[in-house]
Amino acid sequence: MAVIIDRTLTKIEADTMVPSDLLHFCELLFTCGVTKIEATPQVLTKINNFLLNPDLLSKTNAKTYFLTNYDGFFQLETNDLVEQNLDFSITATPHLNGIRLLGSDDLITRDYRTFFNNLLSSGSQYLDLCPSNKKHCATAIAIEWLLMGGQSVSCSFSGLNDDAPLEEVLMALKMNGQADLTGDLSVFKELRLLYEKLTGNIIPEKKAIIGQGIFKVESGIHVDGILKNPRIYEPFSPESVGNKREIILGKHSGQQSVIYKMRELNLSEAGVSTVLLHLKQHCANVGKSFSDLELCTLVREVHNGY
Amino acid sequence: MAIEKKYIVDTTLRDGEQSPGIAFTLREKVSIAKALDKMGISRIEAGVPAMGQDERRAFEKIKLSCEKAEIVAWNRMNLEDIQASIDCGADIIHICVPASTLLIKEKLRKTNNVILEMIEVCADTIHKANKIFTIGLEDASRADWFFVEQIIQKAKDLKASTIRFADTVGILTPGTCNDFVKKLNTGIDLEIHMHNDLGMAVANSVSGTLSGAKYIDCTLFGIGERAGNCNLEHFLEVLDGQFNFGISLENLRRQQTKLKPIIFKTPSIV
Repeated sequence: MAVIIDRTLTKIEADTMVPSDLLHFCELLFTCGVTKIEATPQVLTKINNFLLNPDLLSKTNAKTYFLTNYDGFFQLETNDLVEQNLDFSITATPHLNGIRLLGSDDLITRDYRTFFNNLLSSGSQYLDLCPSNKKHCATAIAIEWLLMGGQSVSCSFSGLNDDAPLEEVLMALKMNGQADLTGDLSVFKELRLLYEKLTGNIIPEKKAIIGQGIFKVESGIHVDGILKNPRIYEPFSPESVGNKREIILGKHSGQQSVIYKMRELNLSEAGVSTVLLHLKQHCANVGKSFSDLELCTLVREVHNGY
Repeated sequence: MAIEKKYIVDTTLRDGEQSPGIAFTLREKVSIAKALDKMGISRIEAGVPAMGQDERRAFEKIKLSCEKAEIVAWNRMNLEDIQASIDCGADIIHICVPASTLLIKEKLRKTNNVILEMIEVCADTIHKANKIFTIGLEDASRADWFFVEQIIQKAKDLKASTIRFADTVGILTPGTCNDFVKKLNTGIDLEIHMHNDLGMAVANSVSGTLSGAKYIDCTLFGIGERAGNCNLEHFLEVLDGQFNFGISLENLRRQQTKLKPIIFKTPSIV
């Protein structure tokens, strides 16, 4: 069974964190399928009342620790992984406590399959891969590693500090028939909100999997397809990641979109073609989409013979 | 030894503009196309002429403004759409062919045979107009492989110049992308079109390029439906020095800085 490590809590300043938020963040990470949460002693001190073995923090001197989930209780263990830069020419050497391979931005442009096969047959007890996202391919590297039989990957929520984005790795696993490795991904919305609160970083609208705007749809062709069967243009449902679909009116809208919106806003469907013509013209001229309020006004004007 | 040449098809003005909240005026479309042409983009997919008079006028102006890039018009399998594209001067007439059962049965409500017949009718009109004819396999990553092979054979018989393999809902991994491209690379130029739903559009495009695709679809800033398309800048960063795309990364970044206010009228979108 592959191990998914989340490292978000090694990169967030502990000072301003509220313990209840921190605890909830950890609970949500376990819910979505994280096996181990890596965190600094500073972060863990904030929640040590909720740890099964808090003494470990004072007895050891590790830079980071792992939290695991035992029936809702948090168990602490030291992070003994030996970190090694992932160099294409290296073959990992067996190490009693396991190895974490870091970096390698350009692995995707190399013969990574042979490289992974060599690593997997190197006899190492435990190999954790922590690819860098500096060249935008960390999710792909992590997924290829796990699909080829890799034991463990380290990620961070939303790819904080150039790690592979946790949410992408989990969804890609689920979509590739590895659903037993993932949990309930519908907590992503809650995780996103909490992450934004803890870090002050706002997740971009179009961020894969967790962006608020990824289920907005405007083009007539896509709206037509989605109204017939959402699977036609959605690889996974909005609900599966705690999001919802929204039909937007704009330059690329078709009649179906306008009718859908009119019904949603309880507007009369009379004059729909005229409404569509005017709204498309307006959006093409101003270079923006059309709000619900603008639609209500336009419908009223069309009905009044404008 | 000369570096192998590969070609970028920029679809900022078509698939990119379909991103909700993004809309370009006629003047903006022409400005973006001119910048793309100057930075060395080989093919510019400038939009969908069937959308209306403004779009067709934009095409005509783009065609006059661009010195080197070939201008691609995107079309449904519909003769009126194709005629609109021919009339506004597009160099390449691209027809989008639904390849998956889901699209054919549930969206178009047609059969595979009807799709193959429609391709023939479209090809005939395009050839009569003496235009370059390219075929896009929509939702190819979820398609039945037997039907994909039938479309490819049809494309070859009808002298299509390029086959576009579209991962329409962004579900591929680099490994599966490599497998598909290698299987498809059989005597016809191959173009790949990747979406970023799982955050792997760049990696998949890199994988497809290394596996033999000649044309790679990208957009500025990676804009596009849902989580977007392959981000041109990111793609070129990864393969910098390995292929000749005819584009300077430095120049691309300069042009993107200038175009950013035109593309994102809502600052929060990036």
